[in-house]
Amino acid sequence: MNSEVSPVVEINGLTKQFGEFVALDQLSLTLNKGSILGFIGPNGAGKTTAIRILVGLTRPTAGTARIAGADCVRDARKVRRLVGYMPDKFGSYDNMRVREYLDFFGAAFGIGRRKRQLRISEVLEVTNATWMQDRFVESLSHGMQQRIGIARTLLHDPEVLILDEPANGLDPQARIEMREILLRLAAEGRTLIVTSHILPELARICDRVAILADGQLKAFGTLQDVSRALSQRRTMEIELLDTDRVAAVAAELRSSLEEECEVTPSEAESVVRFRTSADEEKLSGLLSKLVTGGERISQFREVAGDLEEVFISVTQQASEEQTENADKSASVVETAS
Amino acid sequence: MKGTVAIIERELPALLRMKQTLWIFAIVALTFSATVLLKWPSTSTADLSGIQARAVFRGLAYAMFVTVVLVVPAFPATGLIREVRRWTMELLLNSPLRRSDIFFGKLIALAAFATLLLAVTLPAMACCYAMGAISPTHDVLGLYGLLGVICIELIVLGLLIGTIAETAESGLRWVYGATFALTVIAIIPHMFLQGGDSNYAMIASHMRTLSPIPALLQLVGDETPGATGAIESVDLISRYVASAIVLSLVGSLICIQRLNYSLMDRSRSQGLITDERSRSLRAARRVMYLVDPQKRKSGISWFLNPVMVKEFRSRQFGRLHWLLRMVAGCAVMSLLLTLATTMGTLDWGVEKVGGIMIVAQVGLILVLTPGISGAMIAGEMESGGWNMLRATPLSTRRVVSGKLMSVSITLALVLCASLPGYGIIMVIKPVLQTQVAQVIVSLALTAAVAMLVSATVSSFFRSTAAATTVSYGLLIFLYAGSMLVWINRDSPFSHAVVQRVLSANAMAGALNAMEVDGFRVYDGLLGTTWIVSGVMCGVLLLVLSVRTWRLWEPD
Repeated sequence: MNSEVSPVVEINGLTKQFGEFVALDQLSLTLNKGSILGFIGPNGAGKTTAIRILVGLTRPTAGTARIAGADCVRDARKVRRLVGYMPDKFGSYDNMRVREYLDFFGAAFGIGRRKRQLRISEVLEVTNATWMQDRFVESLSHGMQQRIGIARTLLHDPEVLILDEPANGLDPQARIEMREILLRLAAEGRTLIVTSHILPELARICDRVAILADGQLKAFGTLQDVSRALSQRRTMEIELLDTDRVAAVAAELRSSLEEECEVTPSEAESVVRFRTSADEEKLSGLLSKLVTGGERISQFREVAGDLEEVFISVTQQASEEQTENADKSASVVETAS
Repeated sequence: MKGTVAIIERELPALLRMKQTLWIFAIVALTFSATVLLKWPSTSTADLSGIQARAVFRGLAYAMFVTVVLVVPAFPATGLIREVRRWTMELLLNSPLRRSDIFFGKLIALAAFATLLLAVTLPAMACCYAMGAISPTHDVLGLYGLLGVICIELIVLGLLIGTIAETAESGLRWVYGATFALTVIAIIPHMFLQGGDSNYAMIASHMRTLSPIPALLQLVGDETPGATGAIESVDLISRYVASAIVLSLVGSLICIQRLNYSLMDRSRSQGLITDERSRSLRAARRVMYLVDPQKRKSGISWFLNPVMVKEFRSRQFGRLHWLLRMVAGCAVMSLLLTLATTMGTLDWGVEKVGGIMIVAQVGLILVLTPGISGAMIAGEMESGGWNMLRATPLSTRRVVSGKLMSVSITLALVLCASLPGYGIIMVIKPVLQTQVAQVIVSLALTAAVAMLVSATVSSFFRSTAAATTVSYGLLIFLYAGSMLVWINRDSPFSHAVVQRVLSANAMAGALNAMEVDGFRVYDGLLGTTWIVSGVMCGVLLLVLSVRTWRLWEPD
């Protein structure tokens, strides 16, 4: 069996209820080694609950979660060694230097003293934090603390890293550095689960996204798949060699495609963009028609979906469903009375 | 003036709306009323000498003083720190309010709160006055006036510390430490140097006037500390009031000066480390320091509990260089105690000196312990460190034992400081060797109970300040409360009731072992206190373990 494609994270029907409130409802997904999963959803969607179950801090009401074959509830101790967890709250200790802070967590993970010192140097190197090893943790800026947080999660060389809002509150420069660190870790073969509210940032690093709303998984897959699955229409782009033909091509598209198709010509870019629900066959016919009509086309492509757009579409759907359900139950009450 | 009023209008209702305020007022009112009622004459014979009425007045005055000292300083220090940490101080400083408006607004609001606290004791004082033998002007007004001055001084001290400390927890620790220094430590040099003609004796004599205790003792007509039988000729009340006014004024000026934007600026250490400095400097520091605080630490050894090491390293004065300083301080204190024991034994007798040492040590344990072990679990919860610990393969047992070890080692060092004093007692009166050993066991049990009470309380809270305050309250209730029953041992409490109540107090067991007056009569008290304290330790340890396990397990 090829370990490179074997699932590292397997979540099956994971449910968590707090009394009547369902925080997580039948969450199921698998994640392969070396993937970066972007876990997104509005506040209260159930992201943190799912993460806490994965690291063994919360017990699920139903369902299972396994990391590298270890059950997150029954083998919680083993899972702790397999997972590096960075909560959204940093959790610093006063009067401790960075190296001492990492030394404590290394010792807590049972790493021998000599090996621990080497490991601390390594993780500081990976996170570009060697220069701050003698600084006091509480005196570091938020961005620096986030880097130390990641260094801490790497100490015991875990297979899976779970990072809750690692880019939260970071300035643009620190965000770029954080992105580079995360990509480097994924390139090393680690599996990453990252939650964030900064969606463009997440779109740049994740090869998978999972969108949660009201505790339910609304979408899961690559950004393009999710975007296509969720949005009825996709955005296409035609790049022309002749700028003066932009208006004519736009007119041709309006007449050939459905009425609600949005066509946006841009003479400055020599590009015509359009949003359409047409299938592959229809689009292929359109392209042939334009080429045989003498249009000189340099590119005809689909524009990758925007994560923000997808996120808004999902959350809107969720809130509409909620309103619909509320209306239904109100009408049931009315009928009954 | 308008600004001051605006601050008062915001501060006072906020103080009165707090849940703790209601509890404090209710407990104070009930305790004080009970204290007087318990001493209320039950026979039809009138006490014309007024001895009983004076005794009640004295008890009431001491209780009021203790209440003021325990309650008043906590609010200004923690209130100001919270304001800084929540950034509302920045909003205040950014408003047209002057710094003096903010300071006096807070001072007046807190003084009004303290006045209400004193007002709660009025019914008890009225009952006491009804018993006779008390002057309304000298005794009643004098006492309230003196306590008012003490309140103002402590509020200023609390506000000043609030501008220095960075967390509510350290603010509480510092303010109680400073209050202890001002009230108790200020009188100690005079006790050693009294009667001398040297400049030191004169300085010590002036220094004691900084403490309100001699003034209070003089007001209620008790012997002042250090006055061995002689009548005190100095007007200690006026001197204390003068010194308190001067200190309050100076403190207020410094505090107003410090109320600026720099409160929000927390200095960031650049992480200077000896290992990366010049060879000459490294050599110099090697000579200067036994343990260089800026030397890079080697990793935690395999045989040490990492949680214990972390506790020591992250505690404000837990680092090895601070522990060495503490040991040195304790050694000095020990020498002073030895001197006091030698001198005191000749004047007062071994038992009385032993009693004073026991009470002083228990006082020290009770002041120190909640500050250290109150943050044990609550501090981790507050900082978010608890979830990070839970995400490690450490077991609950290892975490709790590491934390308890770090506290017990510190307390053991403090207790060891007293050993030479007891050594002197054993040399002077060798027959007391067994008793001294029993006293040491009792003190160790007191420390264990104090540590476990604070640790257990800590596991029920998510805020260190709240856990520390509740721990102080419980320990005071346990140790001072049982002594309050002992004070009323003749009436209304019977011998058997007092013995039963004292059995929860290991300090009473130590005093019984030392055969201190008033404790000698309780047969078998020592053994009972050991059993009860042992059981308490066991139960507390069990509750702590269960509670920690529940917090540790997945939610």
